[in-house]
Amino acid sequence: MQPAFFSFYSAVLNVAQDREDLIANNIANADTPGFKATDVDFDASLSQQMADPGAVPAAQYRADATVGLNGNDVDLDSERVEDAQNGEVMQSTATFLRQSTADLITALRPNPSGN
Amino acid sequence: MSGIFSIVGSALDAQNLRLSAVASNLANADTAAAPGTQPYRAEEPVFEAAPVADEGGSDAGPQEMGVAVLGVTQSDAAPTRTYDPGSPYADAQGYVTGSNVDRAQEMMNMIDSSNSYSASVAVLQQATRIDQQMISSFQVS
Repeated sequence: MQPAFFSFYSAVLNVAQDREDLIANNIANADTPGFKATDVDFDASLSQQMADPGAVPAAQYRADATVGLNGNDVDLDSERVEDAQNGEVMQSTATFLRQSTADLITALRPNPSGN
Repeated sequence: MSGIFSIVGSALDAQNLRLSAVASNLANADTAAAPGTQPYRAEEPVFEAAPVADEGGSDAGPQEMGVAVLGVTQSDAAPTRTYDPGSPYADAQGYVTGSNVDRAQEMMNMIDSSNSYSASVAVLQQATRIDQQMISSFQVS
């Protein structure tokens, strides 16, 4: 049986990974005429991933920034902030996951203090 | 994870092309055209959102997009005409036809392009940092 924390952390990492791609895409298209920034709703995507690990979260338009003359609404500064935030999510998730697996491995060892 | 590198790569390519266009425009800002020939026209690339090349990984969602260059447009602003009868390129009225490059516009394009470039590099650094963290997290000791 797979411990529950595996599926939780993998869902978090999947959603964060998808966000990472979307943010990279937004930044890449910062000068594309008519492009609208997209993002996923983290909470909704996470519960969707928990229910169905293969689900691909649906991207939604961010629609909270000023639309320029060329129809583009990417705000580079806020995308960079989102990217940094998302990176911290991934990093802390990886840290928690590592600690959990380390605990699991310790528990599996016949004699934790010895070899 | 391969998706992000393709996306950032496409963005860096596109901004590089844009910077090249700016360099070309600024370099040719002072060129003159002989009577009867076309003067230099400012070039500006137009981008479009495009799917990036998928490097394996069937779980890639449909939103795996990058940026591609749709084409390079030439500015249709009027070419400059300066009165300089002594120039070998002067026409019958003594006017020299020059390029239609707008320097202020080009400088603005350059700054904008450089901003986008550094944002893409920041994403790349972030992705590499996380990759390294992941690798070091799960190494068996």
